[in-house]
Amino acid sequence: MQDDDVQAKLAALREQYRLRLTHDLQTLLAQTRELSTHEQGIDPESLQTLRQGLHRNAGSAGTFGYAKLGSEMRELELWLQTAMESAIAPSPPMLTAMHHRLEEILRELLETPDDAVGESRESQELASGEREVQIAVMAGELSDHLVQSLQGFGYACRKLASCHEQAPESASAQAPESMAVDALIVDAARIDESQWKATLEKMPSAMLILLSDEGGFDARLHAVRHGAQGFFNHPVDLPSLERRLRHLINLPQQEPYRALIVDDDVELAEHFRLTLKSAGIESRVITEPQAVLQGLRDFVPDLVLIDINMPGCSGPELARIIRFDDDWLKIPLIYLSAESNAKRQAQALAQAGDDFLVKPITDVALIAAVTARAQRSRQLSLALARDGLTGLIKHPAIKELIEIEMARSQRADTSACVVMIDIDCFKSINDTYGHATGDYVIRLLANLLRQRLRRVDHVGRYGGEEFVAILPSCTLVQARDAIERIRQSFAGLECVAGTQTFRASFSAGISCTRDWTDADALLEAADRAMYQAKQRGRDRVCLALAEAESPRGPDV
Amino acid sequence: MTILQRILHVEDDPSIQEVARVALEIVGGFEVQSCDDGYSALERASEWQPDLILLDVMMPGIDGPTTLARLREQAETRDIPVVFMTAKVQTGEIEHYRAIGALDVVVKPFDPMTLAAQLRTIWERAHAG
Repeated sequence: MQDDDVQAKLAALREQYRLRLTHDLQTLLAQTRELSTHEQGIDPESLQTLRQGLHRNAGSAGTFGYAKLGSEMRELELWLQTAMESAIAPSPPMLTAMHHRLEEILRELLETPDDAVGESRESQELASGEREVQIAVMAGELSDHLVQSLQGFGYACRKLASCHEQAPESASAQAPESMAVDALIVDAARIDESQWKATLEKMPSAMLILLSDEGGFDARLHAVRHGAQGFFNHPVDLPSLERRLRHLINLPQQEPYRALIVDDDVELAEHFRLTLKSAGIESRVITEPQAVLQGLRDFVPDLVLIDINMPGCSGPELARIIRFDDDWLKIPLIYLSAESNAKRQAQALAQAGDDFLVKPITDVALIAAVTARAQRSRQLSLALARDGLTGLIKHPAIKELIEIEMARSQRADTSACVVMIDIDCFKSINDTYGHATGDYVIRLLANLLRQRLRRVDHVGRYGGEEFVAILPSCTLVQARDAIERIRQSFAGLECVAGTQTFRASFSAGISCTRDWTDADALLEAADRAMYQAKQRGRDRVCLALAEAESPRGPDV
Repeated sequence: MTILQRILHVEDDPSIQEVARVALEIVGGFEVQSCDDGYSALERASEWQPDLILLDVMMPGIDGPTTLARLREQAETRDIPVVFMTAKVQTGEIEHYRAIGALDVVVKPFDPMTLAAQLRTIWERAHAG
């Protein structure tokens, strides 16, 4: 049985469980509320029922990925049990306290993104071992704004007061010793250097990001000398700050680089392969030049290493053959050669090819050269398929993905959803605050979508202020819940334009592959639903329901 | 040694019953039957003769330990090994279950991806000695 299949089944069970958990928590809330009004003592039977309700979920929540919630329920269960077994029976105030705790647990459950929405295994594994990213902010009067905005992006963020700020909460907001903080954001103009340095010392794993009023070279040099890994000028561009944080804290797990080695010297090629492998670079060896096109298609490398002297076909000839094909135009072609004559090297490069590595080459030099070029090649191909402003997938690529997902979900008989999102009154934002602010709002939403959707989801920028998301293995209701949460977060974000602040919102329409027969109809349906959301007053999510006269029967 | 193949899962919580079925049938490749309570477990165990019974401790009706005692009273089920599943609450609980005759104890919450391997290890350890 396929692993994916198990994961899909588990995800479906998790989803059911989440519904049940919500229901159980509501029942427990009603029970504790009721019992907390019993002034005349509480009957043991009701307490036993309450305890069973807690116990049942304390034991099961962890199995479905809600470990934290499970242990919170376990705590409450133990609390109740201890009270029940002691001479002092549980009292109404204790049940009131329990009621409040349960309320918090339920709120937290409702606010966390639905992990069960067809989570991929990768993210399930993450969920079990993951902790929240912790960010501390020391930025004087700007702290609140930063904290609030970063929380909107899903970070656990809190402000640390400085000594000369006699904020009432300063006592509780002081950094505890060796706090596990991932990043400390410091406003260098508003916080004394000695002070933030002392705080930073207590956070051995924290990365430092400095905010400054000065934008010059000296200020940057100063930041670098203080070990800062990020530097921003006021007013801080939030999406860039968020991107920097994500980059610093959560370097995405990259696919290994792939190199295709074309060399008729089997042993040497094998040596290169092993050397690259030791550095985590995957490679495939081709000893016959004729096989190179097939190798490119099958292996899809990030770069090609070509021996310059091969029988039957020279390196430069082969490079030109590769370049005939548009698909391989962007792949770096690197010659490997004993040729140290600069003139001949230049001649080879003039024909085709991007660089020369001279044999014999040390392992370290080979790895460094391949890594640097593969990295560059990846960045380039990513940039080509992505929108410059938001880093999201561009229009043509996202349409292709919709077609792929449509076919996939029909084949596997699962459902996927397409979401069309449009920022409300975008023209008036542009007119009021200028185009730079409009771009800022677009990036804000792009980052939020990227952050809040699952890794298996695709997000693209469809047009000016229009976005499309594709959510595989997801029902209409799950998609609505996920997008609804994003809508709320976005509407709550404070956008900054110079000294002014404002709020933006979006309208969204969602359609499901089960209800439509082809990709165009699916996308149009999502678009219609989005317009419906606009007509109903914007800042809302509408679903595209299948038309009653053409239901998708089992044979369609 | 007998190969572990048939597992009877006794559990009153339907969500746990379902996820354990995925964990044992699909991930583990075992044959699985499920019962909602101790009484039906007593009947099913004597009819179906599983290799192992995975028994939840806290159930309405008769609880896990009582069910274990009854299983030991019936001739047809006397020798079927029992593994308890518990959301451990008290210290010493696990030692207690071993003392009253459980082969071992699986702690809730369990990980659906490793439950089968856990049972297999328990089984092999019991048969190695």
